[in-house]
Amino acid sequence: MAAVAAEAVVVVEAEMNGDRVGIGWRPRLAAGILSNLDRIDIVEVIADDYFRAPRRQRHALRTLAAQVPVTLHGVSLGLASSAPVDTKRLDQMARLCSEIAPQFWSEHLAFVRGGGIEIGHLAAPPRCEATIAGALANLRRAKHVVGVAPQVENVATLIEPPGSDRDEAAWLSAIIRNSDSSLLLDLHNLHANACNFNFDPQGFLARIPVERISTLHLAGGKWIGRAGAERLLDDHLHDVPDPVYELLEVVAARAPQPLTVILERDGNFPSIEALLAQLDRARRAVVRGRERSLTRAEAAA
Amino acid sequence: MSASRLENFLARIYIDAIARERFLADPRGEATRAGLAAHEIEALVNIDREGLEMFADSLRHKKARKAHGHQTNQHS
Repeated sequence: MAAVAAEAVVVVEAEMNGDRVGIGWRPRLAAGILSNLDRIDIVEVIADDYFRAPRRQRHALRTLAAQVPVTLHGVSLGLASSAPVDTKRLDQMARLCSEIAPQFWSEHLAFVRGGGIEIGHLAAPPRCEATIAGALANLRRAKHVVGVAPQVENVATLIEPPGSDRDEAAWLSAIIRNSDSSLLLDLHNLHANACNFNFDPQGFLARIPVERISTLHLAGGKWIGRAGAERLLDDHLHDVPDPVYELLEVVAARAPQPLTVILERDGNFPSIEALLAQLDRARRAVVRGRERSLTRAEAAA
Repeated sequence: MSASRLENFLARIYIDAIARERFLADPRGEATRAGLAAHEIEALVNIDREGLEMFADSLRHKKARKAHGHQTNQHS
């Protein structure tokens, strides 16, 4: 049974054509990741964990980057704000990028502080002209300081951001189309927002520039709230649900460029085998999407 | 300028239970006193109250998890 599964993985890998599937680095997963690098194409590291890390930890990160492609993922810059991005944090990101030489770096289109108050989480900003202009200015600044523009990620939200005058697809597209950043599309964030605010996620994909997607995040969550008014919380503590794999297949069918897919899991960890099984399922979804794309192209020829 | 005032206002009602209670009791008054623009005041009067409570609750929960030593980041 194991031999059949391994053979299937090899076949899928041969069909990946530049697409990569990896996982978020978490200390609790370190041993499992390091002993399965033949099944993990890329590792995403939370950059902020290393901004003030001792030299020993940064050395360990350099060692990791020598073994497997690494990306750095920021969580505290608060790029999608009408307020300027914090210079100190940007400098820290620039130093870490210079030291680790990641494949790319990424951040969220969120605001995380305001008026000296740290929210402690990624908050969806008002979707309006002011936050588009603020995000574009912050992205220009980030590119100037770090040397490379970040990939930018859509965020999940439990609240429809007050002060918005457009929907998420319009807001996100305006930022991507007017910046040098490519899109890190978190498919569970998209799924959660679609469930919570009653829109069609495939319609969303039809409205955004899919040709600018470089990376996809997969994660899981749970339903919260009173009966009849539940909302989906993106908590990264649960397995990737079926609709997220379906969205992954749709993106792979629509986006011809190589894609990087990262599984994010922050706690309630299952076995490494269970996580690897989710990576394998993601690979199969990408391959199915590529096949659909090919079939469409052949039919059109 | 008003846009950053709105972000500051939101940050406060997301994490400060007393400020949130005061706001929910009188959204127009609180938003007006914060110097927000007319369209922002209207948006806050019509705020998604269920979502606001859920988001605030998730922030409280996350803070508690962190205090108990669970690994966490900005996502979870």
